[in-house]
Amino acid sequence: MDRPPLIVSDGLTKAYGPTFALRDLSMDVRQGEVYGLLGPNGSGKTTTIRLWLGLMRPTRGRATIFGHDCWRGGLQVRRLVSYLPGELRMPGSLSGLGVLKFLSGLRDGEGLDRAAAIAERVMKLDLRRKVRKYSTGMKQKLALAQAFADPVDVLILDEPTSALDPSARLDVMNLIREAKAQGQTVVFSGHVLSEIEAVCDRVAILRRGRLVHVEDMHARRRLRMLLVRFAGGAAPPFPEELGLSVRKTEGPALLLEHRGELAPLLRWLATAPVEDLAIGTEDLHSLYNQFHGAEAVDEDEEPAR
Amino acid sequence: MKPFWTLVRKNFHDVRWSLFLSAAALAALGWLLVHVASLQETRIRQALSNGKGFNWVRQMGLDADPPSIEIMMAFWNHPFIILVVAMWAIGRGSNAVSTEIERGTLDMVMSRPVSRSSYLASQVLTSTLGLLLIAAALAAGAYAATFYNILKVPPPFWLLMRPAFNLAALAFPMYGYALLLSSFDIVRWRPLTIASVLTLGGFIARVISVIPVFKDSVWQPWAERASLFTLYNPVDAVSERSRYDFDVAVLLGLGSACIALAFLAFATRDLPANA
Repeated sequence: MDRPPLIVSDGLTKAYGPTFALRDLSMDVRQGEVYGLLGPNGSGKTTTIRLWLGLMRPTRGRATIFGHDCWRGGLQVRRLVSYLPGELRMPGSLSGLGVLKFLSGLRDGEGLDRAAAIAERVMKLDLRRKVRKYSTGMKQKLALAQAFADPVDVLILDEPTSALDPSARLDVMNLIREAKAQGQTVVFSGHVLSEIEAVCDRVAILRRGRLVHVEDMHARRRLRMLLVRFAGGAAPPFPEELGLSVRKTEGPALLLEHRGELAPLLRWLATAPVEDLAIGTEDLHSLYNQFHGAEAVDEDEEPAR
Repeated sequence: MKPFWTLVRKNFHDVRWSLFLSAAALAALGWLLVHVASLQETRIRQALSNGKGFNWVRQMGLDADPPSIEIMMAFWNHPFIILVVAMWAIGRGSNAVSTEIERGTLDMVMSRPVSRSSYLASQVLTSTLGLLLIAAALAAGAYAATFYNILKVPPPFWLLMRPAFNLAALAFPMYGYALLLSSFDIVRWRPLTIASVLTLGGFIARVISVIPVFKDSVWQPWAERASLFTLYNPVDAVSERSRYDFDVAVLLGLGSACIALAFLAFATRDLPANA
C-alpha cells in the first residue's frame, strides 16, 4: 500500500527573469521513503530543496510539507525538517561542540546529546577542537551528526557525502538506513549514483529545471537485462506472462528487459533456441545516461539552424 | 524564545573583539580628551571672555564662562570618535545579511526553525546594545578621567551619558541604512561601500555647511539639513539651550524607519545559496 505523500510539489516554478531555475515541478515524496534527487549541476535540485525549506519564494505553483505551505509556513516546515546544505560554512571560531550547541540551540536545545554522540562515536571527531582546524570532510561530518540527531520527520541532505572518505560514506549510508527504519523521510540529492541506488526507494531525475523521470528503485532492483543471441538470428515469440520486452537490438543479439519471476524465464530459455546468453542487472548509470548521456534528447534545446 | 537568545549570544561571541577594541579605544579617548580639556580650560575661558582665539570652540555655541562640561564636550566632535561609531554601525549593518549570504553561514541558521524576523531582531539587538556600550565607554572613560584631571566643575556621570546617547543615536541611522542595503544584497562590498559613501557624503556636507565663507550661501541650509551630523551636538546635549530631545528623536526615527524597511525586505526576499 502506498504511504501518504508528505512533501508535495504542485507546478513548482522558480524563474529569474527569463531564466528558469525550476519549471513546473509536480511530484510528491511519501512518508518514510528515501527519495533521491538526481541531475547535473544546475538541473534544479538545490533550488527545489530551497523552495521546500521556504528559503525562496516560488514564481508559480506551490509546495507543502505535512500540509504546511513551504513559503508562507516556512518556520513550521523547518521545525519538521533538518537540512544539510550542499556548500557548508561554519563559524570557525567555535569548537565542534560549540557548533553543535549553537545548532541545537536554534531548535530549543533538542538533539544535542545525540549529535555529540554521533559526532564522537560514529564520525570520530574531536569536538574540543576549533572548527577552523577541521578539514572540509570533518565539517561535513559535524553537520551530518547534527542533521541525523535532530528530532524531525524529514531529513533533506544536499550532496551529503561529497567531501567524505569511503568509510565515512558507508557510515552515512547506514545512518540513512537507520533514519528510514525509525520512520523518518529522507530526501537525498547527490551525484554518486551507486549511493543513491543503494539507499533510495524512488529517484527523480531532473534536467534543466524540469522533472524528466521518476524511477521506482524497488521495481528497478527486480529488473534483469538479458543479452541473447538466438539460433538463426530470429527471436521466437515471447510468452506474454514472462514479462519480457525488447530494449534494443545489438547486431545479431537482442537486449531484453525482464520484470518477473525467474523460474518461468529459465524454463522458457531452456526450451528456446538460444545460442548465447548473458544475464545481468542494470545500474542507475544507464538510466541516468538516458537523460543526461551523450545520446540524450533535450526537448528544451533549440534546434540547430 | 530560546533560538532568539542563542542567536544573540552567538552574535556577541562574533563581535566580542571588535566591541572590546572599539569600547576600549573610546574609553581611552574619553580620558585623553578630558586631560586635554583640563590643560586648556583656563586658556579657553580667557579666549571666550576676550573674543580672541579658539574660534572653533566659539562656533559650537559656548558663551563666556561656560561650565567645565561644555568645554569638555567641545572636544567630543573629534573625527576619531565619529569614525569608531560609524565603523561599528556600518560594519554591523552590512554584515547582518549580505555578508552571511556571501560566506554561506546564513544557510546554517535559516535552515533551522528560526523566523526571519527573529534572525534580524537578534542582529539589531546585538548591534544596538554594542553601540550603546561603545558610547557609554566614552562617557565612562571621560568620567574616570575627571578624578585624575583638574576641572573647575567636574560633571556627574549621568550628564555625560546625554552626549554619549546622542553619539549612539547618530550611529543608529547609519546602522539602519547599512542594514537595509544589506537586507537586499548578496555580497558584502556593495552595502558597505554605499553606506560608507552616504556617511562620508553626510560628513562632508556638515563640514562644508560650517565653513564661514559659505555661511551666506543659498545652499548652506540644504547642506546642513542633508547631514545626519548636524543632529550630533555634544555641547548642546549638556546645556540648557538644547535641541537634544528633538535631534535624538529624529536620529532614532530615521534609524527605526530604515530598520523597519530592512525587516520588510528580509521577510520577502529569496535567500540564495552563497554567492
